[in-house]
Amino acid sequence: MKMTKFVMAAVAAMVMGFSSQAMASGGGAHLEHANVDVTDQEQIRRGLTVFTDVCMGCHSAKYITFRGLMDYPEIGLTREEVDELRGEKSLMSGMISDLSIEDAVVSYGKAPPDLSLIVPGRRGGADYVYSLLTGYEHDPDGKVPDGNWNKVFPGNRIAMPDPISWLDHEADEAAELKQQAEDVAAFLTFIGDPHQNTRRIIGCWVMGFLLLLTFVLWRLKVEVWKDVKH
Amino acid sequence: MLDKIMKTQLFAWIDKRTDAEAIIKSQLTEYPAPKNLNYMWNFGSLALLVLVLQILTGIFLVMYYKPSAEATFGGFTVAFDSVERIMRDVNFGWLIRYMHAVGASMFFVVVYMHIGRGMYYGSFKAPRELLWIIGVVILLIMQGAAFFGYLLPWGQMSFWGATVITNLFGAIPVLGEYIGQVLVGGFAVGDPTLNRFFSLHYLFPLLLAAIVGGHIHALHVVHSNNPEGIDLHKPEETIPFHPYYTLKDAFGVAFFLLFYCYIVFFNPQMGGYFIEVDNYVPANNLQTPAHIAPVWYLTPWYTILRSFESKLLGVAAMGGSLAILFVLPFLCKSAVRSARYRPMYKIMVIMFFVDVIVLGYCGHSAPTATLKVVGQIATAYYFLFFFALPFLPKIEKTKPVPEGI
Repeated sequence: MKMTKFVMAAVAAMVMGFSSQAMASGGGAHLEHANVDVTDQEQIRRGLTVFTDVCMGCHSAKYITFRGLMDYPEIGLTREEVDELRGEKSLMSGMISDLSIEDAVVSYGKAPPDLSLIVPGRRGGADYVYSLLTGYEHDPDGKVPDGNWNKVFPGNRIAMPDPISWLDHEADEAAELKQQAEDVAAFLTFIGDPHQNTRRIIGCWVMGFLLLLTFVLWRLKVEVWKDVKH
Repeated sequence: MLDKIMKTQLFAWIDKRTDAEAIIKSQLTEYPAPKNLNYMWNFGSLALLVLVLQILTGIFLVMYYKPSAEATFGGFTVAFDSVERIMRDVNFGWLIRYMHAVGASMFFVVVYMHIGRGMYYGSFKAPRELLWIIGVVILLIMQGAAFFGYLLPWGQMSFWGATVITNLFGAIPVLGEYIGQVLVGGFAVGDPTLNRFFSLHYLFPLLLAAIVGGHIHALHVVHSNNPEGIDLHKPEETIPFHPYYTLKDAFGVAFFLLFYCYIVFFNPQMGGYFIEVDNYVPANNLQTPAHIAPVWYLTPWYTILRSFESKLLGVAAMGGSLAILFVLPFLCKSAVRSARYRPMYKIMVIMFFVDVIVLGYCGHSAPTATLKVVGQIATAYYFLFFFALPFLPKIEKTKPVPEGI
């Protein structure tokens, strides 16, 4: 059985390696931890407000429909609230920015990425989004204009100009701005995988069932094998 | 229960036309299995389970997936959109898709364990050479199927992974460029590539299912090896496959499902190892990701490829590292099968397992000068292991093998 033990140890080591080096930093500075709770309706709704008031000026989230804002219980807006948000847009339309991609390229030199999958699509996930929004600083070399230098963005030069006005904020504003960045990170984490809460709840039942099944089959195997000398 | 079913009239009717009773007896209830198999022998049945899960979940995914690289709003494509529709709008689509994506990685986990067990206990040796060779064919088809499947979501890593791998064919003299173009369906990875990879991704698992049938048939002709690696002659050394091993395998399946379901429900990306972070970014042929690496199960061979300055040598070494598995039964000449009674082979084969993990680590990480040297040493050991095997019996003093179990 030595072989078995060796292999088990190797697998355990690999699994631990998987989780510990899971998310290497995407570049630049160390990422700050964001307190994000995708089951907290309050936080997700606050994040939605930041998203519609600030982000959607340029960015879209095309995989989230206005209908989804009603249907996902984690957001759970009323029809009236959604109607106010969507204006002329269809209920089944994705959350598309009014700024066209072509115009954005003219103004900022780059197409603003769609934010539906920004959290799963960036190393560091929610921490990256939070750290990026609170990562604007003056370029230490003084070359990059203010609002385009970010300590966590790969290469530090970012086309997106400081969306929450983090640069040169008053000391007493810091907590509120951090809260905004955290809330929008929570919203974006949620829309990155909108069935994640359902998945975890079902997962608990599945694990419970499997634990029982494994136990029963283990006892059955032992019972059937008890006469075999080996 | 099986006895009761076999006594029914319906069974008698079927039996008369198919010889079902004889098949059940020879393959299950009277099929002799060694009584001392340890839990390392569970991985074969687990591999079969994952294959079935992959085929079933795949069939349902195809009902909603659209293989088209046509651009849609926001820099996405029809293929990428259809995957996100499965994840968001199809009832339990997220479950089916995560099962399939996690299943791909878990397939390789159990198959690599299965192969490792075969190497450690000498299961590839006479009379099981052909059984091993069929197994290597299965491994190659699996790697092909996984590679084709990874293109389908049309994410950044799908696109650039396929670009890097298909470009390798260009290194083959004379015909290489032509083969590459036929595979890609043009001069660069694009919509035609997606369509032919989708077709092949559906074909390969069906081939797998057929060849796995051949693998099991070959096994049932020569019968299982065992941890002692000896031939069994006495009837009391074996037990019928059913109910002993059907139950042990069932227990193994439940135990495996605990891990599989934990990943599916609680950590489906496995920290970027099972579904890479860059693959949530839609494919963009103008923007190369900072670091292109294949999914973890292909990284050992990627390191072998990268260990040579010359592209042709790298491609040849990568091909050779897989091809050499075919001749393993003929390289390993020792009369003793199990590593339990082969002290030198035991150290060598355990080092080989560690070596493959090191190769995998090097292939997954961003290339550095140190890792390159480590990768080259690991590549050298990979081949040294196989080339040393024919000479091993001349110097290795094997321990006495038991008469029976």
